[in-house]
Amino acid sequence: MNALLALSRAIDAATERVGRFVYWLVLVVVLISAANATIRKLFNYSSNAYLEIQWYLFSVIFLFGAGYTLLRNDHVRIDIIAGRLSARAQNWIDVVGIVLFLWPMSLIIMWLSWPLFVDSFARNEVSTNAGGLAIWPARLMVPIGFALLIMQSVSELIKRLAFLSGRLPNPLEKHGSKSAEEELAEEIARQRGVEAPVLEGKTP
Amino acid sequence: MTAWLTANMAPLMFGGLIVTLLIGFPVAFSLGAVGILFGLIGIKLGLLDTSLLQALPERVFGVMSNDTLLAVPFFTFMGLILERSGMAEDLLDTIGQLFGPLRGGLAYAVVFVGALLAATTGVVAASVISMGLISLPIMLRYGYDRRLASGVIAASGTLAQIIPPSLVLIIMADQLGRSVGDMYAGAFIPGIVLAGMYAIYVLGATIVKPGWAPALPPEARTMREPDGSSGTPSLGVLVLVAVIAAVAYAKLRMQDSPLDETLVIATSVGTGVAFFAAVLNRALKFGLLSKIAERVVFVLIPPLALIFLVLGTIFLGVATPTEGGAMGATGALIMAFARRRLSWKLLKQAMDTTAKLSTFVVFILVGARVFSLTFYGVNGHVWVEHLLTSLPGGVLGFLIVVNILIFVLAFFLDFFELSFIIIPLVGPVADKLGIDLIWFGVLLGVNMQTSFMHPPFGFALFYLRSVAPAKDYVDRISRKLTKGVTTGQIYWGAVPFVVIQVIMVGMVIAFPQMVMVYKSGEKQIDINKIQIIVPEQQSTPSTGPGAAGQAPAGSSEQDQDEQALERALGGGGTTPDAAQSPTPPAEGTTAPEAPSAAPGAGEQDDAAKALERAMSAPADAAKAPPK
Repeated sequence: MNALLALSRAIDAATERVGRFVYWLVLVVVLISAANATIRKLFNYSSNAYLEIQWYLFSVIFLFGAGYTLLRNDHVRIDIIAGRLSARAQNWIDVVGIVLFLWPMSLIIMWLSWPLFVDSFARNEVSTNAGGLAIWPARLMVPIGFALLIMQSVSELIKRLAFLSGRLPNPLEKHGSKSAEEELAEEIARQRGVEAPVLEGKTP
Repeated sequence: MTAWLTANMAPLMFGGLIVTLLIGFPVAFSLGAVGILFGLIGIKLGLLDTSLLQALPERVFGVMSNDTLLAVPFFTFMGLILERSGMAEDLLDTIGQLFGPLRGGLAYAVVFVGALLAATTGVVAASVISMGLISLPIMLRYGYDRRLASGVIAASGTLAQIIPPSLVLIIMADQLGRSVGDMYAGAFIPGIVLAGMYAIYVLGATIVKPGWAPALPPEARTMREPDGSSGTPSLGVLVLVAVIAAVAYAKLRMQDSPLDETLVIATSVGTGVAFFAAVLNRALKFGLLSKIAERVVFVLIPPLALIFLVLGTIFLGVATPTEGGAMGATGALIMAFARRRLSWKLLKQAMDTTAKLSTFVVFILVGARVFSLTFYGVNGHVWVEHLLTSLPGGVLGFLIVVNILIFVLAFFLDFFELSFIIIPLVGPVADKLGIDLIWFGVLLGVNMQTSFMHPPFGFALFYLRSVAPAKDYVDRISRKLTKGVTTGQIYWGAVPFVVIQVIMVGMVIAFPQMVMVYKSGEKQIDINKIQIIVPEQQSTPSTGPGAAGQAPAGSSEQDQDEQALERALGGGGTTPDAAQSPTPPAEGTTAPEAPSAAPGAGEQDDAAKALERAMSAPADAAKAPPK
């Protein structure tokens, strides 16, 4: 079990790094898109490459970010029922969910998307749009993204099982960083000189 | 047993989905799991081809190359930066002072600021938190009815959902296969009318119960002239001058331009004149403008500039709706930086939250596409269609049932789930019934807005509960013991606004013109475009792209309509590779969407039959791994 917990910590650390890299792409893609629109209007110049690079980068964000979002427990759930259950029951739901829900879908997509990349790479497939980009990097993102997601789900599974056997505190409890809403509420409260309200641990 | 299973796959699958979602595991993976499980059962029963799952990677690729979805991170990021820029606080303070001396004035200020924030890509949670922390304490201090105060704040916060630019409208446009620009144009008037109805409710309340919303007492009116007068006549004159300038410009210079363009430019001219006057007055110390007039102009400039940057550039055709989001995000960054509110910490947090939110949204879509692959394979859409078209009352009956369905589901699901699961099922049916999909989308958007206000799960109520004082407290200014707001008061306060929302749904059904203005000035062009888009082999005339029953093999239409993909898959032909769907026109004109169903006589029957035919061979359906 200790080896597994060490593995889980290592995976979490790796996913954290990927997440912190990926979120910078948000800023990059915002600036590319705004610059592209402005330059097109002002200088009447544009290329499909600038349009395609935007969805390439966005794909990196959500494919590589999937594991990170799982680490932060930010994939939305419908918690009307689960929210009223005990911590143990909630962790059991995740154990079953990871094994029966997350794994089949992710493994199948990862498995089946690899040949598409190999094929695309071999043919040196290029976008049909004039001035478009090579397609194989985008094809490669799918198996990598789902591999990262599966890797993180292994860590989450270890943490759930460790909690259920009494070795870890509840991994589903929000910890560490504050949500954007909490920060906003605190800032306004600070300016107004009143006590900061406590936002309950629920994210939309 | 097997025969029964085979016959009832679609209903079983839908029931299985609901049960699975309620378990409480992340929606994205639950959706995908149901799709894969039933896909395997279908293969086992011989209903589906063994190669069905081969189509999955291509589906993921289709989601990746869908650049409408880029608007999700853009607008999210913009909203996160903006909510911390201090703009909302300034607006609430100043507009509160402006309207405060009226009875119900603070409530009007909340509605007005709510609508204004919504038009700059408001975020429901942020609007409610800001108003709950800034306006609510003042309302409580001066004796507002607690239900009215909390209801108006929660409802005004949710305006961000329906007034463009909003994520709901983007996702709705994407799922219905329509252009985001049209969806924005269509939602504009209903959004404004809705805000107006909130204000009318406040007016009605103050007439029936004057004690519910008293005017601010003189000592609370801080933005006054040295001689004690309010200074509003000066503002009135300034507004009049600005309006005259705007109207004059529109009449003299823009007679031939389309309505939306005229509106954007004329409003900018009027605002520019007011801003110029205020700057001149301050710089040269003319003293012609009152304090409040100057303040109002200066606080209104940032939101109006952002609205211009986002909606203006979209309506003028400078930017696509997606790029409008990026322009707005850049503008918000510049503004937050200029106001010295932009820190590394804030920037990182906004990027982090944006990345996570976009990821979970896109993954719900990925899960929904895995689900729909099987669901369409087992003719689920035909089942839904039979269910919905066999309703009494025709189009109206359909609309009423769908709206009741969404209204009820909104108690449990939020709009991401509703848009990705329910809209793809009801959209094609609506299209087949000849319903304009923009109108349909706006209608459902107004309806889904209630999901934020429904007690007890509505997010707006949840955030208001978090920031509103629950216990009695001593007010800082009046030094009096002030009663808190109970949870019951927050819930009951929301009820009238949910009723208003339902009335508004009825009004959008009764007066489609409110939405249909999106077609103004573009009709001629669109009709020409349809001729080009409709594929040769299609004998039925002039249904728009994405109309039910078309999408024959290799149809070269420009829409990235997911449903068209589904149908093409069902049709047994080669699926048009989503990756090849052309990127938006480089000129940045809003995508040339054909209006839905410029109906040719009798075409609907043909379309229905074509669909039946196409779908009658599910085995073929699965044999067509899109390649």
